[in-house]
Amino acid sequence: MALTDIDHQPGISFSLNGKPVRVDGPPSERLSYALRERAGTRDVKVGCDAGDCGACTILIDGNPVCACTTALGQVDGAVIETQAGLFAADPIAKDLAASFQRHQAAQCGICTPGMMVSAVALLRDRSKPDQAAVEDALGGVLCRCTGYRKIIDAVMDCGGTTANPVGGVGTPMARVDGLPKVSGTERFADDVAAEGTLVLRLVRCPHHRAGFELGDLDAYKLRTGLDLILTVADVPGDNRFGVIPGFEDQPIFADGETRFKGEAVAAVVGSADIVNALDLTEFPVTYTPLPHALLPKDAAGIGDMHKGRDGNVMCRGFVKRGDASAALQSAAVVAEGSFSTGFIEHGYIEPEAAVARRVGDRIEVQCCTQAPVMNQDGIAILMGLPKESVRIIPTAVGGGFGSKLDLTAQPYVALAAWVLNKPVRVTYSRIESISTSTKRHPSEITMRIGADADGTIVGAEFDGIFNTGAYASWGPTVANRVPIHASGPYKTPNYLARSAGIHTNTAPSGAFRGFGVPQSALAQEPLYDDLADALGIDRLEFRRRNALRNGDPTVTGQVFETGMGIVECFDVLEPHWKRALADAATANAKGGTVRRGVGIAGGWYGCGNTSLSNPSTIRAGITLDGHVVLHQGAMDIGQGANTVIAQIFATALGVPVDGIDIVGPDTDVTPDAGKTSASRQTFVTGNAARLCGEAMRARILRLANVSGDAEISVGDGAIRVRDDGGERLFPLDTLTPDNATYVLESVESYDPPTLPLDENGQGVPYAVFGTTAQIAELEVDLELGTVKLLKITAAHDVGKAINPLLVEGQVQGGVAQGIGLALMEEFLPGRTENLHDYLIPTVGDVPPIETLIVESGDEHGPYGAKGLGEHCLIPTAPAILNAIKHASGARVAHLPATPDRVRAAILAQTQSPSAKN
Amino acid sequence: MRFESPATVAEAVTLLNEATGTVYPMAGGTDLLVRLRSGFVEPDLIVDLKRIDALHMIVQEADGLRVGAAVPSAELNEHADALAGWPGVCEATGLIGSTQVQGRCTMVGNLCNASPAADSVPALVAAGAIARVVGPNGTRDVPVEEIPTAPGRTSLKKGEIIESVLLPTKPAHSGEAYLRFIPRTEMDIAVVGVGISLTLDDSGICTDARVGLGAVAATVLLVEDAAKALIGTKVDDAALDALAAACSAAASPINDKRGTIEFRVEIAGTLARRAAKIALARAQQN
Repeated sequence: MALTDIDHQPGISFSLNGKPVRVDGPPSERLSYALRERAGTRDVKVGCDAGDCGACTILIDGNPVCACTTALGQVDGAVIETQAGLFAADPIAKDLAASFQRHQAAQCGICTPGMMVSAVALLRDRSKPDQAAVEDALGGVLCRCTGYRKIIDAVMDCGGTTANPVGGVGTPMARVDGLPKVSGTERFADDVAAEGTLVLRLVRCPHHRAGFELGDLDAYKLRTGLDLILTVADVPGDNRFGVIPGFEDQPIFADGETRFKGEAVAAVVGSADIVNALDLTEFPVTYTPLPHALLPKDAAGIGDMHKGRDGNVMCRGFVKRGDASAALQSAAVVAEGSFSTGFIEHGYIEPEAAVARRVGDRIEVQCCTQAPVMNQDGIAILMGLPKESVRIIPTAVGGGFGSKLDLTAQPYVALAAWVLNKPVRVTYSRIESISTSTKRHPSEITMRIGADADGTIVGAEFDGIFNTGAYASWGPTVANRVPIHASGPYKTPNYLARSAGIHTNTAPSGAFRGFGVPQSALAQEPLYDDLADALGIDRLEFRRRNALRNGDPTVTGQVFETGMGIVECFDVLEPHWKRALADAATANAKGGTVRRGVGIAGGWYGCGNTSLSNPSTIRAGITLDGHVVLHQGAMDIGQGANTVIAQIFATALGVPVDGIDIVGPDTDVTPDAGKTSASRQTFVTGNAARLCGEAMRARILRLANVSGDAEISVGDGAIRVRDDGGERLFPLDTLTPDNATYVLESVESYDPPTLPLDENGQGVPYAVFGTTAQIAELEVDLELGTVKLLKITAAHDVGKAINPLLVEGQVQGGVAQGIGLALMEEFLPGRTENLHDYLIPTVGDVPPIETLIVESGDEHGPYGAKGLGEHCLIPTAPAILNAIKHASGARVAHLPATPDRVRAAILAQTQSPSAKN
Repeated sequence: MRFESPATVAEAVTLLNEATGTVYPMAGGTDLLVRLRSGFVEPDLIVDLKRIDALHMIVQEADGLRVGAAVPSAELNEHADALAGWPGVCEATGLIGSTQVQGRCTMVGNLCNASPAADSVPALVAAGAIARVVGPNGTRDVPVEEIPTAPGRTSLKKGEIIESVLLPTKPAHSGEAYLRFIPRTEMDIAVVGVGISLTLDDSGICTDARVGLGAVAATVLLVEDAAKALIGTKVDDAALDALAAACSAAASPINDKRGTIEFRVEIAGTLARRAAKIALARAQQN
């Protein structure tokens, strides 16, 4: 269907945010597209184009509806309101925006328009809705960051007046970058292209693996009116990219053979109306399907996909300490089992998007990314340009969780804009996003853990196979990281862990919150329950007894003399654990088909790269007119780096945080703060910010020749320094400027101290581990196999909470993703490529979450802070599985624990009582 | 592709009847637009029914409540008479998509989309709803269970649309309920959907029952054996066991990621038992 064939009818007229507009577009066009691209209201977000995510929710005649499933032709004469219009005109929306800020209900902000518009409709109807009404109103809007609870709180507190404090380290202040998100002015990657920008779409292989031949591209280009077709022949540089040195194996265009369903073979570029209307199944390419493997067990039989990776084994990981085999033989009790998890999709509501323009001999790319400098490096190699010729200007990022580390959409538009010398944009459809972006590695794990009669762990053996998909991406990281973490945060003197990443013909598995550690915890933590039960020891007590303490060696022989906080996590959970067990016993005493269960699990995660340098640099300056400017390059993908890094810097410099101007990531003006991954930004970039602030403070104190306790203030063209001896004023125009931009400039870097691992995986892989333990309380309907979560209680040792409000946000969002991992999520190539077949938790799936912050400090972290992002979801899924077992007696070892699997496990349990444990 | 927004049913019928190629009437558009833009359908003509005032009515008639084809689910679910008389139908239409979808989608569109997993249809079947079909050859009334004939296919002939659905008034001591099973809390496609309507006599004996079963066969089923299991009983445990067995026996689902065949067959019975208990409690109060 070509839109150009449509009989154009007179434009559609309606009221848009109080103004009459007339939009000239095909009447069957999605209203979401017309509003964004024809009427300029880009606060209407598009997440799925299928009515599944609700990001495009607008009000039509006061009713909340998905603009993506409304036809433009159906709104003639209607009154339409969007988030930005409501914020500007409706006092309820203004109050709601303030409440969203207070509660940190917006993290990345991509779902915020849909959430706020839906909530405004509810709040117009009733000013004090109860929680059920809020959940009902928001049920159709998906959020992947927050875990929904703070959104519910914000809606229920609309009109409240409690103000957040503003301050440095330790202050639960609202995010410094929140206002654009709650007012409809935030601009994500699909929101920044100018009107009329050429559009790029990718031609993707429909087979899991295929050879292919391209047909007459020139004829196709002529017939369709395209500006450009790109294929592998047009890649000027080295047609491969990747994230781990030595594993750059993924082409941007397949070269003769595709290796997963959805891999790009060509790109088409042209005007929006032409490109969007193309039926790309008519593109001149002929595929010859080739033998393929979707599971690791079949991978050896299809021939090697990458030279030098025999049997499609990408790489292996290994950690050995003591003699695990002997220890298990002598153990009083051994628990063992096989466990598996599937592909997990990141499910950020903002699909991948980018726009590029050529500026002379340089290419500039605006995109949503977690790793601007890595993107810059990768594009330079693909395009055969020096790194300096590539500029990455990140937009706001509508969620990442690991998948926006890798290059996706960026190189295509960079190449097209370079060739055409015109701006070019691309936005992935939801189907493209799900089918081609990286995934959490599916795992097949067998594990044995032994304990002696008094409940002390004596040894463990772990074997994990990870499906790494067609290309390496972050697979080597997972293979290396898992053996270091598979013991959990417990003393395990005898230990053997092996991992392997196996190539198959699926989308690449890459980085996803936890890098394989959540999968290994799903083996280790259930087995800990089995051991505790076998020994008759309380499950929390069993874990606490074995938890690592300061001075204990980890499985790599690393010893932390301070900051190993897992015991404190169990300690703070203990009263909750006792209460929850008592509540469950009371509820279950009543009988019935609904049984209550309580589960607990611990977790740990080493912050930053594994035994590799991963520095961050922070730059800051004071301008002639007295502005403190912080060049903050840590990508804020919703987690709050903009706020946390600013708070750390403000504390180190000794100035108010709200007096700091932040210059965000831009590879031309902001130094490399590394990638936003591996829970490293607060720790690594935070340390760089601390060092930068301290360095600048030291210079000012030297200038004034005063002691370290002096108060500094900057403004009105001067620096003021006050101490016991009074105040001294330094007009900035009297100082010799460091450079043309700043009178005073400081640039500081931090790289966490690590040591390489030896051949047995012994060494110092991380400078910092964060630890956590969580309790899940739930009900299982024994007849239906359904699981209803009642509460998650999450204890997290964050060393020092730089911003407790943001800590809660991270925890709640991580828990929500852990819930999805446990109960519903599984990507099946070709089968679950949209958000109604790939299910992520909705507002109704996330129970109340209580966050217990433990602050054990840290030797290296800024003000003692550790990373947190990954840790939050590690214990959630195993705690849920352990609670399901507690409630029903049934162990679900193969995720997700969908009702049919839970029910089957219950039936298996009742049919063979000997199968207990 | 043409897009027409007629003002009357007669104009809509004429447009649909006279058009060549693939034609679709569109009410809320919540299914059609997705399929359209995914390239699954390429219509030559879309006839927008939302501009026809007559299709927006909910009218109490002598023998029941008549609901127009363009009435959004959200509106039906705020209608006091609908909520009081047909709680099962309202429960079912309230489960179509989300609040944001229900502002657009319609019960009749859900019926004509002919998905075996359509939420409103088992409840409509149980309620004995009658579709009023208007076409070039006049008007006919058709039991809703005869509308879907296969996934995505209906018994409507060229030029025909469903103008409205009549929810027949129930006798005293009647109750109905709809239950759906999904893996997630909300917004998902039914794994099993069961609508049950039953009527008791003064002594509490079930004198009439209808059971609609969705998502376990190519079309929504009217399960007569399930109704027979209830009629003549006090809807006691034995009757509920027989009801569950009949529903499981009637189910011939496919294996998919939302549930195995064995699971769906079993859940069809379990859910029917639970829906019947709710319907019974409602009947006892009416």
